[in-house]
Amino acid sequence: MSEEEILEGLKKSVIDFDEDAVKEYAQRAIDEGVDPQKAIFDGLAAGMEVVGDLFQKGEYFVPEVLMCADALYAGLDILKPHVKVDEKTRVKGQVVIGTVEGDVHDIGKNIVKLMFDIAGFTVHDLGKDVPLDRFVEEQLKTDSDIVALSAMMTTTMTGMKKVIEKIREKNPKVKIMIGGAPVTEETAKAYGADATAKDATNALSEAIKMVSSLREMQK
Amino acid sequence: MDSRERVLRTLEGEAVDRPPCFSGMGNVTVHGLKKAGVRFAEAHGDAKKMAAAAASTYKLFGFECAVAPFDLGLEAEALGCELNFYDDGSERILYPTVKTKILKFGEELNVPEGLAERGRVPMVKEAIGLLKDDIGDEVAVGSYVLGPYTLAGQVMDLNDLLKNSFKKPDEVERILRSLSTAIVTIAAELKEAGADYITVREMGAPADVISPRMFSSMVLGPLKETIKGIDGPVILHICGNTNPIVELMVEAGASAIAVDQKNDVAATREKLGPTAVILGNIDPYNTLVKGTPDEVKAAVKGVIQSGVNGVAPGCDIWPEAPAENMEALVKATEGYEPN
Repeated sequence: MSEEEILEGLKKSVIDFDEDAVKEYAQRAIDEGVDPQKAIFDGLAAGMEVVGDLFQKGEYFVPEVLMCADALYAGLDILKPHVKVDEKTRVKGQVVIGTVEGDVHDIGKNIVKLMFDIAGFTVHDLGKDVPLDRFVEEQLKTDSDIVALSAMMTTTMTGMKKVIEKIREKNPKVKIMIGGAPVTEETAKAYGADATAKDATNALSEAIKMVSSLREMQK
Repeated sequence: MDSRERVLRTLEGEAVDRPPCFSGMGNVTVHGLKKAGVRFAEAHGDAKKMAAAAASTYKLFGFECAVAPFDLGLEAEALGCELNFYDDGSERILYPTVKTKILKFGEELNVPEGLAERGRVPMVKEAIGLLKDDIGDEVAVGSYVLGPYTLAGQVMDLNDLLKNSFKKPDEVERILRSLSTAIVTIAAELKEAGADYITVREMGAPADVISPRMFSSMVLGPLKETIKGIDGPVILHICGNTNPIVELMVEAGASAIAVDQKNDVAATREKLGPTAVILGNIDPYNTLVKGTPDEVKAAVKGVIQSGVNGVAPGCDIWPEAPAENMEALVKATEGYEPN
């Protein structure tokens, strides 16, 4: 099987939420010497991008996306241990992520987390219904580059503003991303966040962009 | 025509002098809480405080109903879930959430005996009774329950529910049917306490979460059973994208459907025809909290012209809505003139 066929197989199996097929192709990638990082990005992540499109178009709904994410993780578990840490090609960074206090929705947060996982970030997942101060503490403790906050309800979104203020007070360099159904560009701006992303795919590219700019600043 | 009559006639599809301004969901404000001397976090657990807070939006602004309770955990708690009320003694506004789930997918759901006596059901009944005594002659008193799919998401892990909705729809539907009986039991208690109308909140099943096909094949049946089991006027409310499912919402059999700002009401009216009772769909955050009184007025005019029978916020009123916006909401509805 050619590398191309393997990558295509990974991609398609993620889209078809076929966990067994993803595992088979992932193992084949390892056996046949496909660069595991490439398999993750051009196979698994490429599949998830299509899933994002299908979701936006209203062809896929939340249950389908969750099953695709499961399939993706099944492949990631096999491929990730084989990825060589290469300073040049790999975006490295740490992120603190969680859903703010009062909000027990974690589906969107988990999809964004998945994208950070793929990109090779070290993810500190605080879970859901997270007291606001925990974000500030965890960022300080881990010296993370990014804090990603999620809120599914308007009523809990306002809590994000307080977290952002507190984090900025302690560490103005941290990049802050906010997301969730009620969050708009205007909200992000008004709250002093660096970015918002309406869907997981955008969250990833925003995250990569933010980390690169941070590295630039530190040079 | 007084407010009570206006609301109840609207729900029955009868003629009224003007659309009422009311809701089937929570509508307390920080202004009302302050006046009643009640903190939001304690309003969920004390009948007198709940009743005082629930009556305050009518008393302060002339909003044409009073609704209790204010949280979405009543049924889950009666079924055995533990709730978090976030009561740290402060006046912050956080809605109670479910802390512990009672059902693992694949296990049998045991609906406990004596639901009417469990959790806060007796307390909420007392609050509804107090509301009836206080303002029941002037405005309609409402209460609400969750729809079976939304309740399923409260009592079991939401990820499991969603994935199994796709993988094992028959098993999920069986769970929904058991939950439906529990919901009907609790709704009957709320009615007995004096609620004039009940809203069934199926917010977990809009078309931005599950497909219209899944709504039709799995959610609709148990939802119909729930609505059929409740006496008197019932509002079916779903927030989020309801455009592809409004016909199914009507098919569910409620007296009225309520939708939020994502619904294109003019299109919905055209699809459903003149007799369907549609309530909505003022944006509770971007208009009622962030907007100006003039924007609120314009929004009221807009929804009436689109064809709603009652002016209602798309979801619970966010308690921090400015007082002048609440006033504008009611005044604009009262003073609405076609041109």
